[in-house]
Parts: sequence; C-alpha cells; structure tokens
Amino acid sequence: MSKNGLTISLNEVLFYFTRAGFGVKAPIGVSEDFARSNIWIAQNGFDPSECSLVALDNLDSQKSSLSIQFEKTGDGGRLFCPEDKVLSAIEASVSCVDWIEFNGLDGDLKVTNVDCPLLVVSALGANQCSGIKVSWVDRSNNQYQVNLSDDSNWEIIASSETPIEQSNYADIEISALDGANKTPIKNGKLKTFNIADEKLKTLNNGVSVGDKWPEIYEYFSRCLVKSSAESRASGAGAGLVDTD
Amino acid sequence: MASESVLIDLESDFMRSPEKVMRLDRMGSSFPTRLSFMRTLIRRMSRENWKFERTRREVDKDGYGLSIYSVTTPNRTYSLVGFTQEIPADMRTDRVIAEVWDATFNLFDGVPTQEDIDYLAQNTPKQEGGRYRPSELALARANKSLRVFKNAVDSLSKGQQPDLDLLTSVGYLMRTSAVYGSGKFGCADRAKIADREECKAPFQMELLTVYLIRWFTIDSVEELAKEKGGKKAVKFDQSTRQFIGVGNATGLGMAPFLLKHPALIHNWVVAKETALARVRSIETALPGTLEVFLKSLLQVSQHVDEWSVADEVQSARISRLTDEIQALRMWCENESNIYRPYPWNGIYQYVEDNFSLECQEMIVSLIIEPHGTLVDDLADTMSTTIIPKFQADMTLSHLKEVVADVYKWATTIDFSLEESQHHFWYYSEDKLEPRFGSKGVDDGVDQEMPLAIGRDVHDLNEVLQGIDEDMSIGEFAMMHPQFRHIIRRVQNTFERPYSEVQDNLLSESMRPLDLLRFKLAFFGASKFDPKSDLWTRISMYQGAPMPDQLSEPNHDCWSFPIAGKSQSYPCINCTCRKTV
Repeated sequence: MSKNGLTISLNEVLFYFTRAGFGVKAPIGVSEDFARSNIWIAQNGFDPSECSLVALDNLDSQKSSLSIQFEKTGDGGRLFCPEDKVLSAIEASVSCVDWIEFNGLDGDLKVTNVDCPLLVVSALGANQCSGIKVSWVDRSNNQYQVNLSDDSNWEIIASSETPIEQSNYADIEISALDGANKTPIKNGKLKTFNIADEKLKTLNNGVSVGDKWPEIYEYFSRCLVKSSAESRASGAGAGLVDTD
Repeated sequence: MASESVLIDLESDFMRSPEKVMRLDRMGSSFPTRLSFMRTLIRRMSRENWKFERTRREVDKDGYGLSIYSVTTPNRTYSLVGFTQEIPADMRTDRVIAEVWDATFNLFDGVPTQEDIDYLAQNTPKQEGGRYRPSELALARANKSLRVFKNAVDSLSKGQQPDLDLLTSVGYLMRTSAVYGSGKFGCADRAKIADREECKAPFQMELLTVYLIRWFTIDSVEELAKEKGGKKAVKFDQSTRQFIGVGNATGLGMAPFLLKHPALIHNWVVAKETALARVRSIETALPGTLEVFLKSLLQVSQHVDEWSVADEVQSARISRLTDEIQALRMWCENESNIYRPYPWNGIYQYVEDNFSLECQEMIVSLIIEPHGTLVDDLADTMSTTIIPKFQADMTLSHLKEVVADVYKWATTIDFSLEESQHHFWYYSEDKLEPRFGSKGVDDGVDQEMPLAIGRDVHDLNEVLQGIDEDMSIGEFAMMHPQFRHIIRRVQNTFERPYSEVQDNLLSESMRPLDLLRFKLAFFGASKFDPKSDLWTRISMYQGAPMPDQLSEPNHDCWSFPIAGKSQSYPCINCTCRKTV
C-alpha cells in the first residue's frame, strides 16, 4: 500500500487519515474529524495528503500544538495557541466548527497563526456550514478567500497560482458571506465547485494521491502493532491451517 | 429518508428496552429473522425477476481458470468475476494473513471488458495485495471444504448423490473467508451505489457476491463431475442443491465495524424490535399464523438436531435449546395457552420467563416469521446515511444527565480492577489483521483501537463531576479534547438508544464471538459453529432458492432449513402453503 501514484477510495481516506492523526498523538475524536475534513478535500478533487501532511509533520515535530484558547474581541472572537507554537489546523478546524455551531456568525472569528488553512475550510465544508467566507494571507503573501456559498456550491478566489492546498501559516478570518465582501481580492483567480458534481467524479474515479502519500501511510503505520510468533498464532483466535 | 423515520415507541409494553436487548449475552444468542439482509435480497431478486447467467467458463480439466456469472436487475447488470487455482494444502487458512486461496472473486459493476478481466486477473488472486477500482463493488475469496467437495465431485461423477450426512455436517462446498466492500482496497465507496434501489438495504452487494459464489460452487462441482464421469455423471438433486449453502469463517474484523457504526446498528435493532413489538401487540392472531408457528416448532427441532458443533459451550446451549423447544411444543398443546387474546405476547412472555436466551431469540425469529405483511416494510428502514456529529450546542448539564441515564452500565464498573481492563483490541502489522490482546501479555496497549466505550464514558463521567455546568461543551472539548469521541458517542446514543453495546468490551470474560453472532444473524447466517471465543464458522443461504427457483411461490420459505427438504415450513406470506 505504500506506493506512489495510488488511487484510493473515500473510505480509505477515512481509515488512513483517522489513524494518521492518532499516529501523531491527536486524540481519537479530533482525528476522526480530521479524517472527515480530508474526505471533503478529496471529494472536491484535491489530494488530501498534500495539505494534511504539513499539519501532521508539525504536530509530530511539536512545531505546532493542539492547545487552543478562545478570547472575545470587540467584533467577535479569536482562537489562538497559548503556547509559543503554531496552532495546529487539526485542532483549530474542530474548534472553529464548534464555535460557529454554538455562536452562529454574528461577529467575525479570527484564528491566529494556523498551519494549514484549507483544513479549517474543509472542516466547515464537511459540517455543512454555509453562507461563510474564510480569508487569509499566507506567509508567502498569497491571498486566498473561500466562499462556502450554500449547500451546493463553493468557490476559491486566489491572488496567485499557488494551489490552495500548499498555502500554509496564516491568520484566518471567518465571517458571514454577503454580497459586499464576496470578491475583494483584486485580479483574483476564481475557481468554482459544485459539491455534488465533484463528489460524483470522485466516486467514479477514486482519489488520486501523490508523492506525499507514503508519509501519510508512515504516520498511519504507527497504529499497527508488531506481530510476534505468539500474537500471530493466537491473537485472532484461529489456527494457521484450516481444513474441513 | 425512510431509514431516518423509524418511530420508536419506547413506552410500548411490547417493545424490549435497549438495556435488555443490547447486552452481549443476548446479542450472542441471535438468530436470523425475515428482516435479515439475505432474506431481503432474495425477496427482491424474486419480485424483480432478476436474470442469472453464466457468461464465461474458461477452466482446465481440474476447474482452474476464469469464470464469470452475471445477474441482470431491472436497471443494471452485475458480474461475479472468479479465478480458481491449485494451492498447497498447508497454505489453506481462513485467517486474514492467508496468502493464497482456492478461489478469488470481484463483483464488477456492469459487464467487464477483456481489459477489465485482464486487470482483475493480475489483482484479484492477490486479494489485499492487489488494488481495485470504483468499478469493483466487492472483493472476496473462498476455500474448499476438501472432504465435501471431493465427495460431491466423486459421487456425482458416478451418477450418485453425495453423502447427505457428510454434507449436512458441513453444510457447504466452499467457505468464504472475507467479503470486502465499501471502498476497501480501492473498491467502490458505498456512496457510489447507495441510491440504487437494489443497494439501499445494508450489505446487499456483498451478499449478492456471496449468493453468486454459492451458485459458482455448485456449478463448479457439477461441471467437474461431468468432466470426470462423462455421461454417467448427474447433477445434484433439487433438494440437495437448495440445501447447500456457502460457508464463511468470520473473525474479529466484524467486531470493530459494529462499534464504529452506532447509527446503523440502532436502525437494525429498532427494525427487529419494532417487528417483534408489532407481533406481540396483535390481540387476535391473523388466520393461519398460529398453525404455521406450531409447525415451525417441529421444523426447528429437526434443524437444531442437524446443528452439530464441537464447541462445548455452544453444544450445551444447543442441547438445552432442543429440550426447551420440546417443552414449548408441549405447552402449546394446551390450546388455552395460545388461543387467547394477545397470543404472541403470551408465547413470548412464557418463553422469556422460562427458557434460555438462545430459545428466547429463536422464538423471536419464529413468531415474526409468519407476519411478513405486518413487518416487511421495516426492512426499508435498516440503512442510514447519518454520521453522528459532535453537537457543540448541547449543555454540559444535559450531557451529564444523558451519561447518568443511559450509561449507568458503564459508570458503575470498577475500572481499577484488572479484570475490568483485561483486554484490548489492535491492528497487527501482519496484513492489518485485527487482534484481541491481553494487557501484561501482549504488546500494543498504546496502539489500542478506540473501542473502550465503557471505560471512556466512565472517565468522562469522573471529569464531568468537577466541571462548572455553565461551560459549553465546545469549551469543555477545547480543554479536554481526549473526550471528543466519547461525547459524540454519548450524544448519538441519546438520540439513538439502541446503538450501544451495554457491556464492558475490555472485560476478562468478554467474548467477541457474541458481537460476531449478532451481526451475522442480521446478515441472515445460520449454523453458528464457534471455533474459539474469537471466530466462528457459519452457513449462508442454506436452503435458499437457486437462481432457477426464484420465481417459485415458496422462494421466501427457507428459514431454518432441514437436509433433504426442498423448503422450510410453510409461511402465509406466499402462496405455497405446503405442509412439512
């Protein structure tokens, strides 16, 4: 399974990414949500390993942290890492969804210094949050805005050609989408997605994963237990030869 | 969706509670019912007049090579693509870690081109070692029962029927050791087919695969007998043919599935329990139903007589079941016991008060059986598209209440005792085989699967006792992300109370076998033959009509089959009405 250029199913995305998250010591419930976010990424035609590997690497190397705090601001709220580390998108994504489900989007929600913005977007998408705008400027000074318009459509407006899944390290702003703020990026490139069409394509063709996949698989492999002669003989309760 | 619209009347006197139903000992006594998924599939095949055809058989004189069997439904065609090969006897194992099999299969979505067949020829025989595409709906393999297979080929080739005693003792010619679907190893995701009418009920494509494999095994034996015996050779007679099932060896892999799909399990159980409640609430028995039930007791007595296993625990349970069915038949001979208001409830209550769980669950199946018109609609409610969500807007005080009300079974366990945390579940690096370990004995505690539901709820409950109830669950989850999964589970159980196994799955006395039997009974499996606490052999489709019998009026009368009989007891759901 640890080959390049594979096509995998959405169920395999769920299986492998849940355990990859667990492999970098994210709690299992957070890892499950991380995997659901990756399904959303995959069923919209992206390689989920592309952006998620950065989040997994950061957590594994402790460059990022799952610690998160919320503070009220004048026009909404802010989620941030209380430690001197990058905020892991694996945790930021679930906290954003929780916050929006509980508070709605009366004010803006800012998420400070998060490593993989697309993971936050995908968590919102996976949880059918719509009428929402997510925008950021990453450390390469590329500007992105994602409009989760409704249950059927979403769009990306980007200031550069750099794929959104490669956009890392940014302060994210999440707010309600309205006509006035829909396309503020000057000369931005627009890409639109019909969720049902993209999903159908993925179901018929599978999810192509590229050169980052073996590293995802490596994190997944951490949940596997080494086999011994004893466990091989008895761990599944059956013998090694069956005749009847 | 219909599947989300099941109404549960928990206040009904006739509805068994989750606390009663979702216990391992009762789950481990389950039997198939007319709502089981194989029964649902056979009814659809007959109703929609599915067409079956062997489209290719390119094998050598020993039967090794390629076979394709197709089935055409009103809207599309599915094809079983099978490869057979010779394997060394000492490499024939039912375990996940097997490397070779007598036969390997894919269920292909449509009619495969030669290019598709060439691709599968390179992958299917490797099973987990191959890669599959969204055009493949299922992946499976099967091994021969060497004794029965050989006896059947030899006998038929000489113009004789096979040894019925031998066939009865095993029940099948080949047994599957895995049937994968739903996106495994690159196969199609369930979402690709979930909206198709014939795929809406659970596991229909996997069970179609098994049905076609059963036909393949019978067809292969008859062809091999013809090859060997020439003009002398005969085919199986019809009743023997119908009695032949397909075996299956089921291990630990099924257990995590049950625990990871709580919303689905809730729907399965609610459907079955609603069916039982509907029957128990009948004030005056529908014409003919009590008579059918009485005949069915005779039938199951014979069926149980043929249910022979080596496992001591199960053997004792079967022996007791035999006595209890006999006692029930005698009790039923007193007409005042059954010809009275609410007769089904009276029968059920008598059995619950006096007999073992094994007998109780068999009677549940038998009293539901004659009531197809009353319960078959419930089969449409047994799927779900719901994925339980973390609900950040629930209050902590509400969460505490739910834990206290619904998880008392968990919060009262003393997890400081070694026996309460004796086991753990893990995936081995050996082909990802699921295994069941013992703490202090086996490695891998740190990598245990998240199946410690009781322990995790217990821990959550401890922490909740010291928390300010004004805090939102979202804030609590930020502070304690380790509880996110179990909070989501508790929230789901509040909405779907039949979704949780209400026992400690880490306990020293826990038998994974109970989970396997529960799930296999919903599939429609019979003749549970435990080989340890961790795996079992079963029969599938034993007694079911063959493709050329699907249009017969008794196509749905095949529960609890008996060797040598072409059908089960008569039901009132079709026009057969034949006597046993």
